[in-house]
Amino acid sequence: MTGTPVTYSAFADFLDGETARVERVEVVLAPDRLSIHRPGGGRIDWLADELRALPDQADRRSLVLTRAGDQLARLVVTDEAIVALLRRNAGHLGKRPPVENKGRILGWGLGAVASVALIIFVLVPVMANQLAAYLPPSGEKALGDATYERIRMALSSDMVPVDTCEGPEGLAALASMEARLGAGPDLPYPVTISVLDHDLVNAFAMPGGRIVIFRGLLDEADSAEEVAAVLAHELGHVVGRDPTRDALRLAGSVGVLGLLFGDFAGGTVVLLLANQLINAQYSQSAEAGADDYAHALLTEAGLPPSALGTFFERLLEEHGDAEGLAAHFASHPQMAARIEAALAAQGAAETAGRIGAPVLNAAEWRALRGICGGSAAEDAPESGMGVDRGFERPKPGRPKKDGSIGG
Amino acid sequence: MAFHDLRTDYAGRGGPMFRLALRTGVLTVLTLGIYRFWMKTRMRRYYWSAIRPGGLPLEFTGRPTEMLTGFLTAVVFLAFYIGIVNLVLMFFSFSLFNGEAPAYAVSFIGLAPVIFFAQYRARRYILARTRWRGIRFGLEPGVKGYVWRATWWWLLALSTGGLLWPVKTFALEKYRTDRMWYGDAQFKQTGGLFSLMTAMKHVWLGAALIAAGTLAAGLSEEPVWFVGAAMGGVWAVLGLAYWRAQSFKRLLEGKRLGETGFRSHARGGRIVGIYLTGSMAISAIMSALLFGIGIAIGIALALIDPALLADGLEDLSSLGALPGWVFPIVGLVFYFTVFVLWGVLREVFITMPVARHLAETTEIVNPDALAGIRQRARDEFVEAEGFADALPLGDGI
Repeated sequence: MTGTPVTYSAFADFLDGETARVERVEVVLAPDRLSIHRPGGGRIDWLADELRALPDQADRRSLVLTRAGDQLARLVVTDEAIVALLRRNAGHLGKRPPVENKGRILGWGLGAVASVALIIFVLVPVMANQLAAYLPPSGEKALGDATYERIRMALSSDMVPVDTCEGPEGLAALASMEARLGAGPDLPYPVTISVLDHDLVNAFAMPGGRIVIFRGLLDEADSAEEVAAVLAHELGHVVGRDPTRDALRLAGSVGVLGLLFGDFAGGTVVLLLANQLINAQYSQSAEAGADDYAHALLTEAGLPPSALGTFFERLLEEHGDAEGLAAHFASHPQMAARIEAALAAQGAAETAGRIGAPVLNAAEWRALRGICGGSAAEDAPESGMGVDRGFERPKPGRPKKDGSIGG
Repeated sequence: MAFHDLRTDYAGRGGPMFRLALRTGVLTVLTLGIYRFWMKTRMRRYYWSAIRPGGLPLEFTGRPTEMLTGFLTAVVFLAFYIGIVNLVLMFFSFSLFNGEAPAYAVSFIGLAPVIFFAQYRARRYILARTRWRGIRFGLEPGVKGYVWRATWWWLLALSTGGLLWPVKTFALEKYRTDRMWYGDAQFKQTGGLFSLMTAMKHVWLGAALIAAGTLAAGLSEEPVWFVGAAMGGVWAVLGLAYWRAQSFKRLLEGKRLGETGFRSHARGGRIVGIYLTGSMAISAIMSALLFGIGIAIGIALALIDPALLADGLEDLSSLGALPGWVFPIVGLVFYFTVFVLWGVLREVFITMPVARHLAETTEIVNPDALAGIRQRARDEFVEAEGFADALPLGDGI
């Protein structure tokens, strides 16, 4: 910069921040300061270090200057030479004022987190537990039907609800399995068991006594006893009225979570969380309770409680168990613990000599696996049950799903 | 009087807006939404500074931290309402009516006043943080009156099948404008309660065409009448653009700031044009993006297993070698890329051009009268627009 003139001057618009008048002023730029000569004769000096420019301005050719610490006065400079010099030489143009009220932000932040946590983890569950007991069965049934339709829609890949499987022989097999378990006296209301044509290896109980088994679970099961064990577990949830409690809890918590995250990603987070809540429907104690009930029910019916354990064990081998942080959110209690419990129950049942006839005969089991009318048996992994091989009854119009990707 | 009306320039440009929206959008996703207050502030600074009545830019002086605090304040109150009230409503809805619809209805009706409350408070915050020529705008406290008026006018507008919609729009705008200040000068909304009625005429014509076409098709059982209904649909959509431009123009021209007035040359046709070309540009760019992503995935697959593409993706088992987390990550990145880019392109091709048109067609009549206006005190307003941020109301601009 040596040899160049020491000062530059140009006209600019000055806004004093007290009136709406625009003053046309002469600005003189010296190496250490910017002097503003007002038409009335006054002069204001802004030191170079104090100069700040407003950020994110649309007009890139001009600068809106302000002085650090001065909230109100503005100088709009459009002169190219001065704008360029300032951009180059005024060191703190882009410096931001320090964040004020850090304490208050932190306070409200903690308050918000605490109130949301209190509502989601204490208030809503407690109220849901209380209210679930008072909900009349017809109301529960309506709640379950609404959830059921939503799940059918949510799992659909083509906007058509997932098919319900209604092979008559399969339904008969399912009914005889239910009868054999004989949970009737414990149930608050009769249950409805449906099979959905989907690859998920899972089963749900919903409010109002609706139990849903996915075709993927029938494909994955090695024996009818394993399906019976899962069914007994879900019956345990119905007896405990867990689904109703959870549906009420969901109604309370989803909106609150949505509130917190806003719609920054088109509600994805809310959807993901809601999905997680559907999958992780029950608390760990509800799961353990349903397991205990299943063991007792299976033993009572003369069926091996260990089927629950062996099924879990195979799932564990194939899909791994959720550990660490993920385990916290995962719905089912650590599988290893459940397998142990199942084996213990098996030991007790055998000692008492209570293992009886198989729950389904070979033909019934085949009918159950073919309940969706497709080639379920062929899609299944190595089942070890030769009778299933070659069973095929293709249904026109429904594309064969590739079972190898699921899970 | 009007020797030199002040014209408004618009300094916003597509390139800088694209970069700003993209950068802040990506940061918002990466911070799980926390950056959205910074994003909002920065976008507003840009949009405000682009509008330059008389060559001097508007300034948005809001701070992200005050928006964050306001949001947290609102969450504390709203979490209680949304959590407990929804739970109890759901219980009664299923106990008494065996369905969830009553719960949603009551919940929404209960939320409506909260939404009006949030709208007025957001308007107050935005005006309190807007300056032009160094002078602050402001909105008087008056949210209570606004909430009951808004509830009343909305009920009336809905129960008349939208016939009184323009009256509602005018009445609420008048309530807000009459409480609006620039420095120590108060705005006034002139014009009659029914002055917006004719701005809605094309929407009604379109609706009438739809109704007539459907009715004729139903009576005569000639599906050709549905063509008339379809034309009515197009007419109604174009009519909405006309309504938007006309209602803006009439409301703006009805505003007085002491001796100063406003004039607008906003045209519905221009708005329609912006929406048409904008959406075409957006879909072209998005298709190109999807095409590019498809190619990238194809190349990635070919690198992993060259046989895969040759076999027409029939056997995907060779992908089993990839770690399980690859697919959700790829899916998430894909989703957020599309989501963020769509938002960015909407700002560049729709929001900004509409703002440009409305700004450039606005003139300030008799601006000399502004010179006597003096500064007003700062409205601290710690709650900012927290309620509007917590309830997804869209942007309160």
